[in-house]
Amino acid sequence: MIDNKKSKNDPLASSFRSALTSKLEKADTLSRRKFIKMAGAGLAVLSFPMSPAFAFEAGSKVKSNFKHKPKIVWVVLRGALDSLHTIVPTFDAQYAQLRPKLSASFKGPLLPLEKGFALHPSLINLHQWYQEKSLLPIVAVSSGYPRRSHFDGQDFLESGKDEIDHDSGWLARAIAVKNKSALAVARSTPISLRSPFANSEQVNTWYPSKFKSADEDIYAALNKLYQDDEALKEKLNSALAIKGLVDDNGQHKQKGKFNDLAKSCAKLMTAEQGVDCAMLELGGWDTHNNQSARLARKLTELDSGLAELKAGLGDEWQNTVVIIGTEFGRTAKENGTGGTDHGTASALFLAGGAVNGGKVKGHWPGLKPDELFQQRDLMPTSNSFSWFASVLSQHWQLSEQELQQVFPHIKSYSEVLIKS
Amino acid sequence: MSENSMSSTVISPENIAVNRFGYGARGDELAHAKVDPKKWLSSQLQVIEFSDKQPSSDDIFVAHAKFQKQKKLMKQQQKQAQDSQAQVVDKNKIKMIKNSARKTYVKMSAASLKQAITSDHSVSWRLLDFFSNHFSVSTSGRLMVGLSPTLEREAIAPNLLGNFADMLLAVEQHPAMLVYLNNEKSFGANSRMAKKRKVGLNENLAREIMELHTLGVDGGYSQTDVIELAKGITGWSVIRPKKEHGTGFVFRAYGHEPGARTLLGKKYAQRGIIQGQQMLRDLAMHPSTAKYVCSKIAHHFVSEKPPKSLLNKMQKTWLNNQGNIKQVMLTLFDAEEAWLASPQKFKTPREFVISTYRAIAPNRINDRALLNSLNNLGQMPFNAGSPAGFSDDESDWLGASALMARVEWSSLVSTQVKRINAEQVMATALGSSISQNTYQMVIRAESRQQASTLLLMSPEFQRR
Repeated sequence: MIDNKKSKNDPLASSFRSALTSKLEKADTLSRRKFIKMAGAGLAVLSFPMSPAFAFEAGSKVKSNFKHKPKIVWVVLRGALDSLHTIVPTFDAQYAQLRPKLSASFKGPLLPLEKGFALHPSLINLHQWYQEKSLLPIVAVSSGYPRRSHFDGQDFLESGKDEIDHDSGWLARAIAVKNKSALAVARSTPISLRSPFANSEQVNTWYPSKFKSADEDIYAALNKLYQDDEALKEKLNSALAIKGLVDDNGQHKQKGKFNDLAKSCAKLMTAEQGVDCAMLELGGWDTHNNQSARLARKLTELDSGLAELKAGLGDEWQNTVVIIGTEFGRTAKENGTGGTDHGTASALFLAGGAVNGGKVKGHWPGLKPDELFQQRDLMPTSNSFSWFASVLSQHWQLSEQELQQVFPHIKSYSEVLIKS
Repeated sequence: MSENSMSSTVISPENIAVNRFGYGARGDELAHAKVDPKKWLSSQLQVIEFSDKQPSSDDIFVAHAKFQKQKKLMKQQQKQAQDSQAQVVDKNKIKMIKNSARKTYVKMSAASLKQAITSDHSVSWRLLDFFSNHFSVSTSGRLMVGLSPTLEREAIAPNLLGNFADMLLAVEQHPAMLVYLNNEKSFGANSRMAKKRKVGLNENLAREIMELHTLGVDGGYSQTDVIELAKGITGWSVIRPKKEHGTGFVFRAYGHEPGARTLLGKKYAQRGIIQGQQMLRDLAMHPSTAKYVCSKIAHHFVSEKPPKSLLNKMQKTWLNNQGNIKQVMLTLFDAEEAWLASPQKFKTPREFVISTYRAIAPNRINDRALLNSLNNLGQMPFNAGSPAGFSDDESDWLGASALMARVEWSSLVSTQVKRINAEQVMATALGSSISQNTYQMVIRAESRQQASTLLLMSPEFQRR
């Protein structure tokens, strides 16, 4: 069982740690100048955060270890996406009654899916992928989080346990059991990728900095300065390894927009020492008012960002599953301010060349008062974590036993989500 | 956290007083604090006065209304005439007004930062920032850009050393909070207003009041309580200067949901605005609120895992003194649990930037550059983007690229400030609480700039 308390004795964790320590000791004895040169060239002498396999199989071929291997990109939409405005149930007569203003507010024709569902007009690329059978929308899902707080809802979704654990995320646990590597496009590690034993060796963060790069000499000095502070030392070394990678890709000005982040994410994933999975975040979905205009804008941002990701991944797109989820849904009824309030069930998207798409999954609960959860929200009919578990089982070949370590309280579904 | 930190350094009591509770040492503060650290701390609790004449929330509403009017006018004119010259003139006007909201935001946010940097009672400024983040508002939308910085000035600072209930009421009736959490258009379905036009309830503010401002998410309330509080504060709105006379908070009685409410098992039969006010007063004095806010204060000032004995002392003071914030802080200063001599917290970007400038004391600081610094370090004022505010946890601030950004910023500051004397800054900021390793590395650095960068990035300066 994975338990965040006992990581220090975990054999997996300690072998990573000793591998890392030996690298660090070696680096310490290098002349300072040499150290700087290597770090600057992106050779990542201090640690091998991008390729944990290398730490184990020293001597074997590292190169392209990650290439043509199944990849996962986890995209969290923070703020509770209104799934009913994103995947519209055009067949449900209640829809227009519950949302007289919102249902009439779409600025273009809806993009048809099967069973009478339709995508928001902004999701042009996603619809294209649907037609190419590499997009799978899943309706009426929930993480099982019982309340309506964004922050707890997000923490719950990222943690993946039956109670929030701020120090352990489901993706990090999956990485740990499968010995994979990950990158969080964030200024610090989000809960999804937190785990006491899948640490900086396996999980890195990256976010564009706008400051001019400091004089290279300083990094060697800092390494020495941090000799008694493990946490600072660890982060410094991860940062240097990543810095090499991004700098090699040309130092164009990064802006922190989702498009740019997705583009850089793809670059880092497919770099010489790439990663098996990555996490992106996009906020701004809490549409209590003026929802129609705001969602049109946000969904375009999401759609074009994902298109950048696909373009950047190139051939690797064929091995990729992008999981797009949000903490919960919104009220079935529109509110008094042209928006919707916090609800329960929402939707998931699976996208990517590896996805067995082109259909809509999930059982539709209906929108009649008695069919709603507490007579106000879309009723959840399946569990997000079970879908995630199915992806992990089919895409990363996690066994039943391994899945239990990732989602202790959840069973996977048997539906085929990944192309064989 | 403490277990990871350097074991070699013991932090002196005066260093704890100045760096853990205040925003870092400036000038000879360490020497002053050394005489009697606890006494020094209690003398730090002073009323905050803003030294500048900045626009009020009322001014900002008026400017916003003006802008909207202007924009509408321009659109009309564009439709009517094809005179291209006239269009250019109007566009410039619009731009001018638009920039003024942004400018106001930059000026006000930078002014608060600079006062914290130069203040001789920085403990109070840290306390202000704590509550400003507790009642976090973000600059989402043009109106909120100007409005956000006014909340701490108008509702929080005046109540900073008083009772929490007064602060709570001032905040929840302040236009910035009402607009940010959409209560200004939340009206009862059975109100008189509802008979004339379609209006509805918006639960957003009520939910966050209970989850984030008072009881805490585990404070023992239900969805029904959220709705009851939301109904209790229906009609709490703001004047629209475009259509109405005046500015600021207004209670729209005809939009208030009529009838008695039941919140957390207690019945509220009051009519009108008093109903919601009484609900808030009771929430402020609820034991869950004492527990939640006290542990947040301890978490902020002292440790991510504050000992239970410390929390008990603070809660006891809170409950015995009507949630008086000054008394709670004095209890905190007096508690031995708060004086552990090893570093307990990793500085947030805001703490890092303020303490850096306090230690270096540059002649002048450019407003825009100051805000750019915070933006790139990940903590732009009033941009937490969530009513929960910015995180107070090391795990959220100590990331690989976040650390890199700090290195780059330290290096930048060290270049910009002329003839910086790292040894002197080290003595000012940390006194004797410095490890042999850090001391040697700073003293022996190859350049002034490197010495200063290393000092700012040292574990002793990054942690408190």
